[in-house]
Amino acid sequence: MVSAVIPRYEFRIFGNDLTKYEVKIKKFSEKEITREMDSVYLLTPWKRKNNVKIREGVMDIKNLDQEHEGLQQWNPFLVGKFPLKAEVIKSVVFPALGIESPVFGRKKYSLDQFLSEVVSIDPDLAVAYVWKTRHAFTVNDCITEIAEIKVNGSFIKTICIEAEDPDKVMEAKKMIGIDNDAENVSYPLALKRIMGLAVLPDYWNKIDF
Amino acid sequence: MSKEKMKIGEISKPRFEFRTFGRSFEDTAYLMSRLSVPVPEKVWERTSKEIYIISRTNDVNNTKIRDGKMDIKTFVQEVDGLEQWNPLMKGEFPMKSEMLEKEVFPAFKVEMPELEKEEYTLDEFLEMVKTHSDLQAVSIEKERFGFMVNDTICEFANVWINGAMVVTVNSESTEIEDIKKTIKDIGLEGVENINYLQASKRVIGMIDKKLAN
Repeated sequence: MVSAVIPRYEFRIFGNDLTKYEVKIKKFSEKEITREMDSVYLLTPWKRKNNVKIREGVMDIKNLDQEHEGLQQWNPFLVGKFPLKAEVIKSVVFPALGIESPVFGRKKYSLDQFLSEVVSIDPDLAVAYVWKTRHAFTVNDCITEIAEIKVNGSFIKTICIEAEDPDKVMEAKKMIGIDNDAENVSYPLALKRIMGLAVLPDYWNKIDF
Repeated sequence: MSKEKMKIGEISKPRFEFRTFGRSFEDTAYLMSRLSVPVPEKVWERTSKEIYIISRTNDVNNTKIRDGKMDIKTFVQEVDGLEQWNPLMKGEFPMKSEMLEKEVFPAFKVEMPELEKEEYTLDEFLEMVKTHSDLQAVSIEKERFGFMVNDTICEFANVWINGAMVVTVNSESTEIEDIKKTIKDIGLEGVENINYLQASKRVIGMIDKKLAN
């Protein structure tokens, strides 16, 4: 099923101490809702333009459509619920991951079968189990989120600003006090850094003792 | 029978260790601080930045690099769920190829890359690690708070593994019974013993297993 969601422009940061931004977000907006959810992200060291995750038994793939003034526009292009046909895994999931598809022993895979029989034995694939507590706000008409996340048991925070109008995101970013030179870090990139699949820049979540 | 008194920061006979990792050990940290005898100021709070070299095929040798110095510890035995690790080698960068060939890579238990130079700087060594499919360098930053409970050296620490935070608590001593009593006293009975190597592998997804909480 192809989703009809209009892709939004997004700016996201990660870190352990985002207090100065959180204070500003809370100044501009009441907290609207808190949601908890877990996701399984599938990662490879190579491809950076796809975000492949499974949430509540649904495979969700987003493609990085374009970047505009440092904002990213991710386009969801597939939603498939497990059990998934091997043919779909072969023709859609593996190309999105950018790796060669294995030979499948089954015609259909439940989520458990997919993880244990396909993902866990593939040396090119890594799995991040991510638990999110997401707090939603609205800043300058943008969906703004502060989230505490647990990546394979380790803790980090993220803030995201997103909207269909990129100018509104740029303005909200300014209102929250995020510098122009702050790096826009997507979930796949953050997870790859934590898991050692992507180079760790010196400025990444720098700890000041 | 008299036992050797543990002293923080001093070399003693091989120690046994209980350590675990998770997201929150607030109660344990509180108990540790209340049950601790006064400790030297130098261990109240310590910070360090290290690189651990994680090998897909090895769980018995623990390699870390701090300030350009490599330190490999090897697993000796487990007694009553407590682990004993002994020093295996210490070396400094630039490091001779002979040392890499005879001591370091055998400790990783991986295929030996071709060494073309006589010696390697830390950056050159890390480049070799980066290109080796069974090895991974992991950034570990520690903020450690030292205590002494039941004559065991204890620690509560915030640890950032590639920038993501976990918390660790430990108790170590030459005396197994003292550690077991401490585990009970600080509320960690039944909690899994997870060493740095295991915790790093779990966070980076090399092992599909959860931390203690």
